Amino acid sequence: MKDPLQKSLDEQLANLSRDIPLPRNLWPGIRGRLDRNPRRGRPMAFAAAAGVVGACVASALTWAVLHGRAASPAIQVAAQAPSFDEPRNPSYVAARDELEVNFRERLALLDPATRARIEASLAVIRRAHEDIRKALTSDPASPVLEQLWQSTWRDELDLYERVVRATQPTMTRT
Amino acid sequence: MLHSAGAMDTAVEPADLIAAAVGGDLVAFEHLYRQFSPRVYGLCLRLTGQREAAEDCTQESFVAAWRALAGFERRSRFSTWLHRIAVHTVLARRRGLRVEYEVAEPASGLPEVAAGGDEPPLDLERAIAGLPDGARHVLVLVGIYGFSHAEAALALGVAEGTCKAQLHRARGLLAAALGLEKS
Repeated sequence: MKDPLQKSLDEQLANLSRDIPLPRNLWPGIRGRLDRNPRRGRPMAFAAAAGVVGACVASALTWAVLHGRAASPAIQVAAQAPSFDEPRNPSYVAARDELEVNFRERLALLDPATRARIEASLAVIRRAHEDIRKALTSDPASPVLEQLWQSTWRDELDLYERVVRATQPTMTRT
Repeated sequence: MLHSAGAMDTAVEPADLIAAAVGGDLVAFEHLYRQFSPRVYGLCLRLTGQREAAEDCTQESFVAAWRALAGFERRSRFSTWLHRIAVHTVLARRRGLRVEYEVAEPASGLPEVAAGGDEPPLDLERAIAGLPDGARHVLVLVGIYGFSHAEAALALGVAEGTCKAQLHRARGLLAAALGLEKS
């Protein structure tokens, strides 16, 4: 059972307000710095990612056509989108999710040993992505971390694309 | 066990404002600042023990948050994400200003008005401010702001076991400072 004195201390801590009113309005200073330092653009990295996504979407659409399936709404949206500016773009995310579904379907066609190797590779990429994301949260201004983070996005999409592409001949023969 | 402020912090977050800010909407980001700055400031003030440093860290935190918004994946609450940035900002600043912090009066920036209730918590706040840095940081994060030990350890760059030991130490020191020790 908890020590009553310790319980009293915990209750006092629990009763502390987590909010403390600011003695002055900091927004003007923040706003001024945002003007001078707009969020960094990522044109090159995401152009590359968009290229990979575009290839994947094309593959997925080809696959859908070859198998008489209508492309899903997510793929249609992604295919119509002029660009994928960021991974947070809903169209981008929807297209990526749809591609992962297609990737999973293709993966199921491969032999167990190959499948295991690909799953292991994907796990490594995702673990790296998550680790870098956490590090980036702590150090959001780090260009190195940001570059690595973008790189893991590309690696994941590239893996999807390669699996889709590698299984294409098998699919067309059946 | 200390309460978990994070677990209790179930207030609905303004998803529309967050989404707009992620999309680059400065007005939405200003609204987020209005809503979340008192908590970020409270966290910074209790971690630094200095009003001016806490103001600077609060400002830095929101600037850093704006720049990092594109990386916010919504796997955690926005407030949790923002608090992690604030902790990192405080620790980064502290590393550069260690001497200044050591000579500052610990309680100089504490709130002058009690948050509510019958008993002003100022003694407790002063006692927290007087804790050694490591113990105070863990107590503030885990005891007041609801970080888990794992989250606090990650934010502070220490092992989880160290985090637990520091919390135990902080509670003992606080109990002594407040006269809550067993006689």
